[in-house]
Amino acid sequence: MRRSGRAVAALLALTLPFWLANPYVLHVVIMAGIFGVLALSLNLLLGYTGQLSLGHAAFFGIGAYTSALLTLRLEWSFWVALPAAATAAGLAGWCIGRLALKLRGAYFVLVTISFAGVVSLVSINWMDLTNGPLGLPGVPPPELGPWSLRTKRAYYYLVLAAVAASSLACKRLVGSRIGRAFVALRENESLAESVGVDVTHYLVLAAVVSAGLAGMAGSLYAHYTRFVSPEVFLFTYTVTMVIMVVAGGKGTLAGPLVGAGLFTALPEALRAVTSWQWQMLAYGVLLVLLVFFLPRGIVPALTAVRRRS
Amino acid sequence: MEQLLQHLVNGLVLGGTYALLGIGLTLIFGLMNVVNFAHGEFYTLGAYAAFAALGLAGLDFTLALLGAIAAGALGGALCEVSLLRPLRHESIDTTMLVMIGLWIAMQNGELLVWGGVAKSIPHPFPTAPLVLGPVSLAPLRLFVLVVAAALIAASYLLIQRTKLGRAMRATFQDAETSALMGVPIERIHTATFAFGSALAAAAGALLGPIFLAYPSMGDLASLKAFSVVILGGLGNVPGATLGGLLLGVAEELGAGYVSSGYRDAVGFLIIIVVLVLRPAGIFARAERIG
Amino acid sequence: MPNRWTVLVVLVVAALMAATVFVEAQAPIKLGVIQPLSGPVAASGNYVRMGAEIARDWLNAKGGINGRKVELVIEDNKSDPKEAASAAEKLIVRDKVPAIMGAWGSSMTLAAMPKLEEYGVPMVVETSSAATITKRGNPWIFRISPPSEMEALGLEPYVDKLGVKRVDFLAVNTDWGRGAIGAFGDMLKKRGVAVGAAEFMEQSATDMNAQLTKIKATGGDTLFLTTAVEQITLIMKQAQEQRLARRIVTTGGSSSPTQLIKQAGTAAEGTYHIVFFMPWFPEAMPDGKLAKAFVDEWAKRGHPFEGLTEGFRGHDGIATLAEAVKLAGQDDPKAVRDALWRVNLMGVNGPIRFEKDGPSGKESGQSRPSIFVVQIRDGKVTLPDFLAKK
Repeated sequence: MRRSGRAVAALLALTLPFWLANPYVLHVVIMAGIFGVLALSLNLLLGYTGQLSLGHAAFFGIGAYTSALLTLRLEWSFWVALPAAATAAGLAGWCIGRLALKLRGAYFVLVTISFAGVVSLVSINWMDLTNGPLGLPGVPPPELGPWSLRTKRAYYYLVLAAVAASSLACKRLVGSRIGRAFVALRENESLAESVGVDVTHYLVLAAVVSAGLAGMAGSLYAHYTRFVSPEVFLFTYTVTMVIMVVAGGKGTLAGPLVGAGLFTALPEALRAVTSWQWQMLAYGVLLVLLVFFLPRGIVPALTAVRRRS
Repeated sequence: MEQLLQHLVNGLVLGGTYALLGIGLTLIFGLMNVVNFAHGEFYTLGAYAAFAALGLAGLDFTLALLGAIAAGALGGALCEVSLLRPLRHESIDTTMLVMIGLWIAMQNGELLVWGGVAKSIPHPFPTAPLVLGPVSLAPLRLFVLVVAAALIAASYLLIQRTKLGRAMRATFQDAETSALMGVPIERIHTATFAFGSALAAAAGALLGPIFLAYPSMGDLASLKAFSVVILGGLGNVPGATLGGLLLGVAEELGAGYVSSGYRDAVGFLIIIVVLVLRPAGIFARAERIG
Repeated sequence: MPNRWTVLVVLVVAALMAATVFVEAQAPIKLGVIQPLSGPVAASGNYVRMGAEIARDWLNAKGGINGRKVELVIEDNKSDPKEAASAAEKLIVRDKVPAIMGAWGSSMTLAAMPKLEEYGVPMVVETSSAATITKRGNPWIFRISPPSEMEALGLEPYVDKLGVKRVDFLAVNTDWGRGAIGAFGDMLKKRGVAVGAAEFMEQSATDMNAQLTKIKATGGDTLFLTTAVEQITLIMKQAQEQRLARRIVTTGGSSSPTQLIKQAGTAAEGTYHIVFFMPWFPEAMPDGKLAKAFVDEWAKRGHPFEGLTEGFRGHDGIATLAEAVKLAGQDDPKAVRDALWRVNLMGVNGPIRFEKDGPSGKESGQSRPSIFVVQIRDGKVTLPDFLAKK
């Protein structure tokens, strides 16, 4: 049952651009995919090591700016800029991981917020590098041999590949010894330490992988919207990621993806069903209701229902 | 030198209001373990309550301030009972998400009710500044500083000297034991949230006349409040007071002598440095309340 | 428990399906509007929307365009470029609008621009001031607001009359503020004016005392302010508290002097403001009758007077689009784009006609809006002495 379900889902995902001709809906799906990678990356920290990063927009933004600058200024190919963006973001993640290794809970949250704040201010004020608040328009679309991946259909497959690769990476990581160390860390840190888990090492590792994935999402975003401005560091982006992970179900592999799909589609759905005055209000109320009824998230609740029946 | 004095005075006035915002949040955060993203919305609520009382109903300034505090306390209590109490045993991320939802809903509700145009709140003070040598200070700002100091002192007394304060401190140290000793945890949580929200509303009502009232004003307030909480240490009221003053002065000096574009970065950098060097806050011996 | 949330899930799924259901194009001509209707600059965005609605109702009262009613499809960009791009996509694909007006801030406009190119739909830019918008070679862009350089040139004839000798700048740290400091700085330097401090503030900042203290030390005679009216109000109050004796000139045209008089009181006394609409004396506008009618209609609808200096742009933008659709004789995006080049219209601001701007072959359209200077004196908005006729 589960296997056939998964096969159907994979088939649907692979053929999606052929039966979903509406480019607006495809646009929403692509954005959901990019946020899906982001949510997966945040989930690695929040869901598995239990550390909440409220500075994830910083890694996303660093990835977006790195990729945009490399392709615009140095005319690097997208295929080199993408890993470079992930590396740059991963490096930032390493710094934060090292810096914050002594901190837990609320204190870790604040360091990450502050870090994002500083990076955002640098992007606004370092005119020579980032063009400041004017942003960087004209980021080129990726090219594959003679083809430009300018069309939505082509970009969809690129994003789909990124989502698949990220999920696979998360799955492998979580299922490995490292993943068990992460969970041990979350559940009882002192116990984990006493049985020989090198806490610092694993936390930093989680931060690096998580930041790297976010940087990759940033690169995908930059080459899709073809415009990068300091707004990529907006706190609302981080908040959106947190909503996706927690509402979808943190500490599960499917949860962040479900959350990303739902909370990318929701604002667009609200555009369709209600006028602008009510959209964000409705968004807030729906979020409160969702948490109220499913405090652990959607995927864990579904799992529980299936177990019961 | 003249400039330095003016910068210091500016920073202290600003810091006083940061402290007021921080104290409310440090109690909620420290005692209830709730990452309260909606804290700034109670600040906004206070400002609009003051606007309604002063600008629309034509009440007097003191009454308006009291009205705003009452609105904050009532709103806070309502929110705690309806949203947080049922989720008390859920994880910190879950309650945080509820507060994020409340933040978005409240801010857009305010936009719907009051419109996006900033409201100016009238006040009875003369606009001509008090001048002392090279330093000038508006009478309203002086008033705000004095009232903020009084509210901070009152909070301190409430926590140190009253029965409620004792119960709050006990809950902070060990909720389970306190519950066993007969402390009504649920009521303490409601009281704490109402109290913290009332302080935020007071800050909004005080700052509203200096600045303006508009729906998104709470975002910056939340951010500053979080910074103050961490600088001072969770649940540490004197720490939050000093942290607020420190943040205000540091931002002011940073903007004055480094670069105004990096004004907020000064605050962020202080937080990072402080947390790396003294993870429990600058003023903390250990985590504590009071 | 399951029952309650089943309902919720069903509701959400229903909403999602509603989003994807294809809506058949109907008889009215739909024009898209993208504005910041929530978030920090919601006030301005809503004024522009109100102006756009007046233009729509006037058009429909006269029988619409070529016998078809005009309908506005209004979207909120939440001051977020990502949202602006999504809104443009939605308007073009789902609502099938032949043309759009938007998107207030320059970064929102820049983010929506690739979508215009992708689908080939024109957009009239009503507020954004960044020079790069019309220089990028996007042939679907038609701007009716002045870029900062144009605004600076508009002020140039008055620099000597104002008596500006030594100037400082305080601007919001966005493309708009940065662009204004660059453009006005260049213009003033060319006129032999000494340029002192150039200070910035974040969009959400409320306390500008540090910047003002620093500016006070430069000993200049004039302070140029570029930011939204809320921050200008705060700066004026704080400058008064600090006894900063400067001639203040605000740029950008959204300073709304009426609101300043109301909220900053005596602190606004004597200040100069560059505006693109003078609702205090509409008869002095290029088309006095139209301007007067707009001011009256605005008042009749109960909109706040201080919003007029923003609201007129909504009117002019929609009037421009409607004229283009009329000239095109159809609501096909490409025909509307071609017709935009032929628009020759009197707006509330003045004549609207597009000139070519940007790399040849892919030029964007740029109109030359009228620029005015007013002064606040005795709690009223007046023409400065050097402009008053007589």
